[in-house]
Amino acid sequence: MRFIIQRDQLIDSIQHVMKAISSRVTIPILTGIKIEASAEGIKLTGSDSDISIESFIPKEEDGIINAEEITEGSIVVQAKYFPDIIRKLPLKAVEIVADENYQVTIKSGGAEFHLNGQDATEYPQLPVLHTDNSFTLKNEVLKDLIKQTVFAVSTVETRPILTGVNMKLEEGFLNFVATDSHRLASRKLPVDLETEQIDFKNVVIPGKSLSELNKIIEDNEDTITISVTENQILFQTKHLYFLSRLLDGNYPETSRLIPDQSKTVIYAKTKELLQAIDRASLLAKENRNNVVKLQTKENDQLEITSNTPEVGEVVEDLSTDSIDGEELKISFSAKYVIDALKIIEEEKVKIEFTGAMRPFIIRPMDNEHILQLILPVRTY
Amino acid sequence: MNNWKELATIQPVATKMIVNMIERNRISHAYLFHGQKGTGKNQIATMLTKSIFCLNRIDGEPCHTCRNCIRITSGNHPDVHKIVPEGASIKKDQILHLQKEFSYTGLESNRKVYIIQDADKMTVNAANKLLKFLEEPSQQTTAILLTDNVNGIIQTIRSRCQIIALQPLNENKMQTVLQESGITASNARLFSAITNNVEDAKMFDQDEWFAQARNLVVQLIEMLQHKKDEVLLFIQKQWMPHFSERSQLQLGLDLLILWYKDVMYQLIGKEEYIIFHAYLDKIEESALYWSREDTTQILYAMMEAKKRINQNVHPTLLMEQLTLRMQR
Repeated sequence: MRFIIQRDQLIDSIQHVMKAISSRVTIPILTGIKIEASAEGIKLTGSDSDISIESFIPKEEDGIINAEEITEGSIVVQAKYFPDIIRKLPLKAVEIVADENYQVTIKSGGAEFHLNGQDATEYPQLPVLHTDNSFTLKNEVLKDLIKQTVFAVSTVETRPILTGVNMKLEEGFLNFVATDSHRLASRKLPVDLETEQIDFKNVVIPGKSLSELNKIIEDNEDTITISVTENQILFQTKHLYFLSRLLDGNYPETSRLIPDQSKTVIYAKTKELLQAIDRASLLAKENRNNVVKLQTKENDQLEITSNTPEVGEVVEDLSTDSIDGEELKISFSAKYVIDALKIIEEEKVKIEFTGAMRPFIIRPMDNEHILQLILPVRTY
Repeated sequence: MNNWKELATIQPVATKMIVNMIERNRISHAYLFHGQKGTGKNQIATMLTKSIFCLNRIDGEPCHTCRNCIRITSGNHPDVHKIVPEGASIKKDQILHLQKEFSYTGLESNRKVYIIQDADKMTVNAANKLLKFLEEPSQQTTAILLTDNVNGIIQTIRSRCQIIALQPLNENKMQTVLQESGITASNARLFSAITNNVEDAKMFDQDEWFAQARNLVVQLIEMLQHKKDEVLLFIQKQWMPHFSERSQLQLGLDLLILWYKDVMYQLIGKEEYIIFHAYLDKIEESALYWSREDTTQILYAMMEAKKRINQNVHPTLLMEQLTLRMQR
């Protein structure tokens, strides 16, 4: 393998793939970066086996030549040294050569490095992209989807499947659902698919991978292509491929958990409610459940209270837009409600209760696509 | 040992069972291989893993040259997980890592294999965690547990595995192998009595420490017969510094046991079984000194001492007590 490449391009790519490389891996080869030279350009790969990132540098882009004199081949170099070497090279162009004994030579100006590489066939083989099972979203839409659901995944490993976000694509809607069995966040998105109907239900993406992906994709108008294979999911932007393993198992059926009737409906201003609960939770933090009580009053008033005997108590009256239905007295975890309200960008929210012991639903007003379900806390 | 045919020469029964399973595609979800050190547990585990993953398997034999085989050899296969004891035991965290790994889909395919070496060294916590996913095996997962002490594995795990016992190596056969590799007949006989592993035996042959250990054993026996008063001093000054590790002391006791077994053979007139051939005159001398009953008592005392080393009894005290019991 041999090629000459622009250093800045290479540094960019290295920075991307380094995000997937962890020093605590069980398989020795994953401490390295895989470099693959083909006629089209140079591809770098980094992986910690849970997520893998591939970054592609095309040979030529918009008339600018990035890489030249390419002889095909591939090699794995140590991620501990390679990035620093490239960063500190003297000239703009770098020549990288690997011989059949896995010796890598890096040349730039007068500097010449010899690195021991490893055989690229030892590197995990990532699945090849199947374009027939894919669809496209805008970057910022995907980022929203992630932001609005991923916070609700479970952090304990007792039910591993709940540490992921369930992605469903059915009846023209893309649906992300996350739950830790105390609360549930769901976001729907109408998608129009140009290709023939593609359907998948049981795709569960690890929450960690999605958070990582959220950091990597840029907030712009570009699009991202999502494809699902049997055991991995691929997010593909122009020159960056982000692959994640999926969670194995069946995601619980969540649609039946959502009550379709309600006894009490409250319309309130998102920000005011959020701040009031946040204030009330200041004193609630002492006790472990972070419990805040909410009670309906006359004249569309809400009373939010919290009481920790050792610390003190707080009472706040809040006026809402309207309260319909039965009177209600309910306790819940302030943290869950704050999390849910935080991701709602609309000015007003609608909260539907079905009694003090039943889960309640928070939705932005006039937006049926976001849904937050929270279980109340039983207090005496 | 790079193919099943070679393995079949040392483990005919186990190999046949495994090869049949591979050929009929009836690989079970969990195996427990048990057998003494040197009986080929690791080779069998690696071979089985390769047979599962190999891309061009022929009659159950992996090719050793495909991508998957190469990566299993180098430990780089992403869907093969090997757990070895961290320090003295396999900790709960190691099993938790495994558990996390198994809640994910595979990196390349959904076929996954995990190998747990020295499975008897799992802590109770770790064993119970492991049990949880042995109970609910996913379709394409195979667990391979290896141990030399099958009784050290909790019953609930044993009952969920297909248990395959590996036979101890035949001593005569091992002796021939050792002699072929240039070890003298009497040494070969001794080595094959204390280890099942050809590599270990070859190491003993080169080892200065082992030669010295053997001398000390002979010296100790001499002292017990002629200079009883100095025995304790000898233990303190020479024996203990040489056998300072517990594992070394175990080996020392093994040698002593072999000696008294020889004495017993001499006493009952089965000289052909004697292992310390080089010291035949000394064995004869010992046989005149200790009676049959004495020898039996001594052997019992030594078996007990061996057990106690593992129970963290102070090694010096243990040796002192033992030598006192050995004096007539």
